[in-house]
Amino acid sequence: MSSVTASPSHKKTAGATDERVGKKSTLSVLLGRPEIGALVGAVALFIFFAIVAPVFLAPASLATVLFGASTIGIMAVGVSLLMIGGEFDLSTGVAVISSALSASLISWYFGLNVWVGVVLALVVSLLIGFINGIILIKTKLPSFIVTLASFLMLTGLNLGLTRAIGGSVSSPSIADMEGFKSAKAVFAASVNIAGIDVKMTVFIWIAMVIIASWILLRTKVGNWIFAIGGDEKAARAVGVPVVRTKIGLFMAVGFCGWVLGMHNLFAFDSVQSGEGIGNEFLYIIAAVIGGCLLTGGYGSAIGGAIGAFIFGMANKGIVYAEWNPDWFKFFLGLMLLLATVVNIVVKKRAESSK
Amino acid sequence: MKTRKNKRAEELLEKLEPKTSDNLLTLKGVGKHYGSIIALRGVDMVVDPGKVTCVLGDNGAGKSTLIKIIAGLHQHDEGEFNLHGSAIKLKSPRVALDAGIAAVYQDLAVVPLMPIWRNFFLGSELTTGIGPFKRLDVQKMKDITKQELSDMGIDLRDVEQPIGQLSGGERQCVAIARAVYFGAKVLILDEPTAALGVKQSGVVLRYILQARDRGLGVIFITHNPHHAYPVGDSFLLLKRGRSIGYYSKSEITVEELTAQMAGGAELAELAHELEQLGGHAEELADAEAGVIPQAAP
Amino acid sequence: MGKPSWRKLAVTLAIVPALGLAACSSTGGRQPAPEPGAAGAVATTDRIKIAVITHAPPGDTFWDIVRKGAEEAAAKDNVELQYLGDPEGGRQSQLIEQAIDQGVDGIAVTLAKPDAMKGALKKATDAGIPLVSLNAGEDRFKDLGVFAHFGSNEQLAGEAAGEKLKAAGIKNPICVIQDQGHVGLEARCAGVKKVVPDTEVLYVQGTDMTQVESTTTAKLQADKKADAIIGLGAPITMTLLKAKATANSKVEIASFDMNSQLVGEITKGNVLFTVDQQPWLQGYMAVDALWQNYRGGFTIGGGQATLTGPAIVDKAVAEKITSFAEEGVR
Repeated sequence: MSSVTASPSHKKTAGATDERVGKKSTLSVLLGRPEIGALVGAVALFIFFAIVAPVFLAPASLATVLFGASTIGIMAVGVSLLMIGGEFDLSTGVAVISSALSASLISWYFGLNVWVGVVLALVVSLLIGFINGIILIKTKLPSFIVTLASFLMLTGLNLGLTRAIGGSVSSPSIADMEGFKSAKAVFAASVNIAGIDVKMTVFIWIAMVIIASWILLRTKVGNWIFAIGGDEKAARAVGVPVVRTKIGLFMAVGFCGWVLGMHNLFAFDSVQSGEGIGNEFLYIIAAVIGGCLLTGGYGSAIGGAIGAFIFGMANKGIVYAEWNPDWFKFFLGLMLLLATVVNIVVKKRAESSK
Repeated sequence: MKTRKNKRAEELLEKLEPKTSDNLLTLKGVGKHYGSIIALRGVDMVVDPGKVTCVLGDNGAGKSTLIKIIAGLHQHDEGEFNLHGSAIKLKSPRVALDAGIAAVYQDLAVVPLMPIWRNFFLGSELTTGIGPFKRLDVQKMKDITKQELSDMGIDLRDVEQPIGQLSGGERQCVAIARAVYFGAKVLILDEPTAALGVKQSGVVLRYILQARDRGLGVIFITHNPHHAYPVGDSFLLLKRGRSIGYYSKSEITVEELTAQMAGGAELAELAHELEQLGGHAEELADAEAGVIPQAAP
Repeated sequence: MGKPSWRKLAVTLAIVPALGLAACSSTGGRQPAPEPGAAGAVATTDRIKIAVITHAPPGDTFWDIVRKGAEEAAAKDNVELQYLGDPEGGRQSQLIEQAIDQGVDGIAVTLAKPDAMKGALKKATDAGIPLVSLNAGEDRFKDLGVFAHFGSNEQLAGEAAGEKLKAAGIKNPICVIQDQGHVGLEARCAGVKKVVPDTEVLYVQGTDMTQVESTTTAKLQADKKADAIIGLGAPITMTLLKAKATANSKVEIASFDMNSQLVGEITKGNVLFTVDQQPWLQGYMAVDALWQNYRGGFTIGGGQATLTGPAIVDKAVAEKITSFAEEGVR
């Protein structure tokens, strides 16, 4: 409650403590964060699988779970930021493959060092993001529609160009080309920690989450992202550069797609041009489980990471628990629903206690 | 009063060095059309520091078009728009803000889910550090927000709470405090009391006077002459995109103002219609004559 | 903006060609197309139009090989080939009707969803267009008016794999299905299970290779009694090799279908064997049978399906067909 006093001459200096404000306990501050519900859900799921499948707790298993989470998580970082900014991107799944194919086909066709292909693939990925953003701004269509169209176009391009350039539906092998070994060491290697092989993507994922959180919470651009997602008209009225920020967000998603695409390429060498379809929804689900509002203006990059972790745990946990595989998809959907419900319940309690 | 220091603002302000005889903001014969629809025509207005100019009119009178032009959301098609004596066409709200024109809209231009301090500094965030380590100076922004709001008389427990949790009147005051803090020279208030109850409206009207006393030129848009008259120094009446009168306070009474706004001819017609339907038309006749209804004894 | 500094320009002019040289790769990359052999005679029959309409999902390497076979037959037989497909039954049926409208001289279809094709195939028969089928539909082709079928029986293929595994002493294989609900893939695993009763099925998401990798790794970590893991497609099997390494597992690896990389792994001994249904033959025979029918009204097969597989490719066979796999016909 705040008081609007009748006489404006009643002043208080900012330094003096207001006796009505009790020092907010660290716990209640924590409970107010958007990720808290997802965190509780993640802990619950972890304990559940630890009980049901003891092998789940083995360090090697955890490394595998983290790997499975990281390939969703890398994209969830960009998709979370975009969702907080109030937009969707349905082309993310295939854009990852487009990036991988670009690097592979360009290097192979022109006989170049694969690092040149890697750099050009980055240009392609950023361009795809840029085009998504520009079309959104110019046509004023909902991002759902714009990116659905680019999803279809990229799917076709992936298939058509791969066959036209490489001669088949999967890109030709580039493992024998210069630069492959070094690129693989950067994008697809494993790091040995205390005898366990942890895939590189896990570290890349964590680094991206940290950087994204920094941008969101501690920079001007982050403030703009929250504002644009919360109320675009208000943001524009106070001078926030809405167009630049939105296009920037789509390009950030493109960057994440490049990172994951490069991992795909250097881990599997030959890229199946029909891959990627369906993943775009997993990225969105990870962001939503992590506390990002579908309508925008609220959420966090850490939440998206927790959402990806929940997905990884559910996905691999079911395998570790050796449940009947026919029911796999049902269990997965159920896990996700429960995790989201826990998320909402915890958030409600946190808000009512304020 | 603090001014935003950036290159564009300085350039703009250099161009607009106040010439002693000129007013702060002048409109001369300003007009705007959207395609074949004429939204505004031949409007004159003067805004001076420390004075409140009220813009009155019913719905569809062109009030919102007028403020959008002054606030930089639209550009005028005819006439002159002068700031400090120099003709100007504001290309965007950002340019208007840099020139010292701040608008507080009916829907308030605040983001409900964001904390008060983030809203306060939206678009004008304070940073510390350099290069890649440039980051928001969170503590400073929170302190300033708290200070500025308490200077305006709002005592908030916590500037971290989402602004959507404040009442309508409180949000208006935060928006006004924001405009004042960021060195607005001209403050436009778009129907601030339209959705508020009597007590809250009183509070907002007090803040309008506060802003005026700080030396701002205030443009107060409303369709309620009883709110406009107590605080206004000059009154511009708009009807269907044209000015039907521009008076200073000494030239007009509140009853005349009300009558001009309501439109005497239309009231007579309405009274006639209602009588035919069996209603009571005496009150309408009274209003037309400018008689204030007495409370029943 | 100041004037461009000459020093900057000189540096750029020096760096760009250096980067250009470093950018080229001396190994790998596109090789110049091999010289075609002396062209033999093409069939002297009239040029006819044949449509091959499959249920291939876009981007499946298996169907590339089918297509190559069809294209080679078409080149030899003076045939104008239309190669189309759609995994969705209704749309595949529409493609058949379009081919009929275009007045083709023969249609080859895959009968993964035979009931969806019934109507369109009847129209083709009424229009006097001869029909053959390939790859799927071995038990239904006759009552749909199709005179010949070229394919492999998925169940039989699975059983052949099972026999080979049994002979190698495998008792607990994991059969990895990359498309849950896919009838053909399920039939293969069912065939293996018939011969090796303790076979387990594992579902993975074939559209995301990273998920395939992490899920199979998890399975190998969790299931200590598994002694073999089977991939139902060459790219999947390549990923299984990685999973095996990450999980430090000792399982044997077996496969279905083929590509050149897989042949290499079999030769090296990393993969026990693969069951090849010789898809090139399916495409080739389908087109050629229709040409034969045009040439002299011949109907090959005697009303029975002509089997193109299963053909087990183990180390011994792999060494012999390595060059064909690289060419993309096996």
